[in-house]
Amino acid sequence: MKKRQMYFRMITASLLRRRSRMIVALLSVAIGAAILSGLVTIYIDVPRQMGAQFRNYGANMIFTPADGSFTSEDITNGASYIDSKDIVGVTPYRYESVRIHELPVMAAGTDMEQVKLTSPYWSVEGGYPTGSGQLLLGASLAEKFRLGVGDEVTVSYTPEFKDRGSDETVLDNTADMKVEGILETGGPEEDYVYLRMSDLEELTGISGKTDLAELSISAKSDKLKEYAEKISSSVPAVSARLVKRVTESESTVLTKLQALVLLVTVIVLALTMICVATTMTAVVAERRREIGLRKAIGASNSGIIKEFMGEGMLLGAVGGIIGSVLGFVFAQQISINVFSSSISFMPLLVPITILVSVAVTGISCLLPVRSATQIEPALVLKGE
Amino acid sequence: MFFRMISGTLFRQWKKMLMIAFTIALGASLATAMLSVMLDVGDKVNQELKTYGANITVMPKESSVLSSLYEVEGESSAGAYLREDELGKIKTIFWAFNIVDYAPFVNTTAKLDDGTEVTAVGTWFNHHMELPTGEQLDAGVTSMRNWWSIVDGKWLDEQSSDSGHVAMVGAALAQKLGIKSGDRLHISGKEQDADLEVVGIFDAGGDEDDKIFMPVDTAQAIGDLEGKIDSIEVSAITTPENELAIKAAKDPKSLTIAQYETWYCTAYASSICYQIQEVITDSVASPVRQVADSEGAILEKTELLMTLITILSLIGAALGICNLVTASVMERSAEIGLMKAIGAQNAAVSGLVLTEIIITAIIGGTVGFFAGWGFAQIIGHTVFGSAISMRPVVIPIVVVLVLIVTLLGCIPAIRLLLKLRPAEVLHGK
Repeated sequence: MKKRQMYFRMITASLLRRRSRMIVALLSVAIGAAILSGLVTIYIDVPRQMGAQFRNYGANMIFTPADGSFTSEDITNGASYIDSKDIVGVTPYRYESVRIHELPVMAAGTDMEQVKLTSPYWSVEGGYPTGSGQLLLGASLAEKFRLGVGDEVTVSYTPEFKDRGSDETVLDNTADMKVEGILETGGPEEDYVYLRMSDLEELTGISGKTDLAELSISAKSDKLKEYAEKISSSVPAVSARLVKRVTESESTVLTKLQALVLLVTVIVLALTMICVATTMTAVVAERRREIGLRKAIGASNSGIIKEFMGEGMLLGAVGGIIGSVLGFVFAQQISINVFSSSISFMPLLVPITILVSVAVTGISCLLPVRSATQIEPALVLKGE
Repeated sequence: MFFRMISGTLFRQWKKMLMIAFTIALGASLATAMLSVMLDVGDKVNQELKTYGANITVMPKESSVLSSLYEVEGESSAGAYLREDELGKIKTIFWAFNIVDYAPFVNTTAKLDDGTEVTAVGTWFNHHMELPTGEQLDAGVTSMRNWWSIVDGKWLDEQSSDSGHVAMVGAALAQKLGIKSGDRLHISGKEQDADLEVVGIFDAGGDEDDKIFMPVDTAQAIGDLEGKIDSIEVSAITTPENELAIKAAKDPKSLTIAQYETWYCTAYASSICYQIQEVITDSVASPVRQVADSEGAILEKTELLMTLITILSLIGAALGICNLVTASVMERSAEIGLMKAIGAQNAAVSGLVLTEIIITAIIGGTVGFFAGWGFAQIIGHTVFGSAISMRPVVIPIVVVLVLIVTLLGCIPAIRLLLKLRPAEVLHGK
C-alpha cells in the first residue's frame, strides 16, 4: 500500500514541480490528440456531407409506370420502400400538350415545393408559382412568345374526343394564368411550361394521373440499385430506374474524394504522432542525470522504467482527454463552415484517442529511458 | 570562436540537433504536402467532375425551340444547322486550354429492313485532332459518356481502318430487335442506304438506349446532311460563377470595359459560352445548369474543406516544432549556466542558441520540403492518378512558416535561460 502511494506521489510531484516542461509535453500530446480526433471525425463524416452536396445534380432515380400510367398513390407506395431519412425529394410530373398563343407547347404539372428539392440547379427569374393561376415558363418559350415575369397569358387545352360520332363542337378548356417565373436550365426544360399539378388537373379536367416521378435519394449506388429492384418487384405499377449518369459519376467522384481525405488524414496523423514522440523523447532525455542518480542510490531498472512510463502515460491520458474535446470542436467548426450542418458526436472516438495518445507517449518515453538505464550510473552522472 | 562553438554544437551534439532537424523536417513536409494538395485540389476535382459530361451545349440560333416543339408533334426537325467545318475553331478560343472535350451531334431518322423507324445519331467517338498549337486531342463520346456501360462488344474505335461502316446500338433498341455485337444492319435513310457492323451495345440508362450511334460522316450520308451538325456538347473546366459572371451572362454589354476584360479573361461558363458563340456562326451556347451549378458547389466545398484541414495541420506542425525547440533549448540549461558563469553576455548566449537552431531549421526545412513534395505526389498519384503540380507560392509560405515557428519556439526558452542564475544552475537546482 505504502509503495503504491509513494509511486503516485513521485509521479504527480515530478509533473507538478517541473511545470514548464510538463506544459510543453502536455501541449504537444493534446495537439496530437486533437488532430487525431478531429480528422477522423471529418473523415467519417465527409461521405455523408459530400453526398448531400452531390444531390445538387438532381434526381438519381426515376419512377415510370410499368404500363400506361400510374397515380400519385403508386408513387407514395413506391417511395415508402426507401428509408425516409434518405429521401431528399419526390417530384411527380404529368405531361400534357397545351396551346399558348395557338401554338402547341408541352406543359408539365408538378409539385413546386418538391421541384426545388429534386432540381436545385434550376435557375428561376422571378419566383416559383405559389398559388393557383400561376405558371413557370421555360426561357426559350419566354423568348419565343416575348413574355416576361408578371405577364398574363391564356393557356388552352383541347380535351380528347370521347365520342367521335357526335358532331357538336368541343370547346377548348382555357385558363388565364400569370407568368410567375422564367426557368433557365440550359437543357430541354427551357422548352416546357410548368404548372402546379392542381392547375393542370383543373385545365384538363382529369385528375389523379401521373406520367413520371423524379426522386432524389442520398444513398450509395449499390443501395440505390437495391431500392430500385425492391420497388420494381414489390409495386407492380411502378418501374424504378436509376439515372445512370448521376449515380455512376457520383460514386466515381465520391470515392476519389474519400480516398483523398483518407490519405491526407493518414499522412497528417503519422507526421503529428512522430512530432509528439520526438517532443516526449526530448523531455525525457533531459532527465538522464536524474536516472543515473537514482540508479546510483540503488533503484532497479524496472522501477525506473515503470515510474517514467507512468508519468508519460498520465500525460498521454490527460492530453488525450483535452485533445478529444478540442478535436471535436475543430471538426464541428469545419463542418459548420464548409457544409453548414453540424457533426454528430462519436463517443467511440474518445477512448480511441486516449488510447492512441497513451500508447504514443508510452513508447516515446520508453526508448530514451531504457537507453538511459542501460548506461553505467557513473557515466551518466559524469555527464557523458 | 562563434563559428567554432556553433559547429561544435552541431557536430558534437548531433544527436539532439538531428532530432530537432527531424521534427522541423516533419513539420515542413506536412506544410508543403498540404499546401500543394490544397492549391491543386480544385483543378483535380474539376477534372474528376468531368465524368458528369458536358457543361456547355451549343445549338443553332434559330431552330432550338422549333425543332423540339415539332418533335413533340412527331415530325422531324427542319431548319438551322451548325457547320461541321467550324468545329476545330472551338479549340482556338481564349480559354481553349480549359476545353477538355467536346463532341458534335447530328440526328437523323432511318428505317431498318423490317420497317422499324430508328433515330441515328452521328458523333465523334475518339476523334483525333491535331491542333495548330501542336497539341493533340482525342475528343468524343468515349470519354464524354463514360457512364455508358458496354453490355456486349466494345467501344467504337474511329481511328481503326474500317470506321466508315460501324455503329453502336442502345441496349433497349438492341433488346427489342434482338441485335448482338458483330451483327450487320442494313439501314436506309432519305437518300442513301448503309450497311453497318454493330461493334458494341451500350446501356446509357436514359433515352439514348433507343438510338443508334455512328460516326458523323455515316449519319450525314444517311440523312443527306453533309457538313451539317445539330448540336455540340462541350466539357470545359470552369470557375464557379460569381456576381460579375451572373451579370455578364444576362448581357455582356452592360459591363464596363474593365469588368468586361476581367470577365472575358476568367474561365466562367458564361464567358466560355460567349467565346464559343464568337467562333461558331449563328450559334447559341448555354451552360447546362445541372452540371455547371453542381460543379461549382462541389468544388467550393472541397476547396474549403481542404483549406481548413490544411490550416489545422499547419497549426499542428507549427505547435509541434515550437514545442520541441522549447524542450530542447531548456534541456541545455546547465551548459548555458556555465557560459554565463564564465562571463557570457545575454545577447551573446541568445545569438548563439538562435543561430544554432536556425541552421538546423534550414537543413531540416529543406529536407522536409522535398519530402512533403514527395507526399503530395503520392496523394496525387494514388487518388487522382496524376501528378500534383507545384505552385511556386508554396516555397515562400513554407520558408516563412518554418522560420517564424522556430523563432517563436525559441522565445519562451530563451527568456527562461536569461532569467537563470548561473550559480543556481551549476549547483544543480
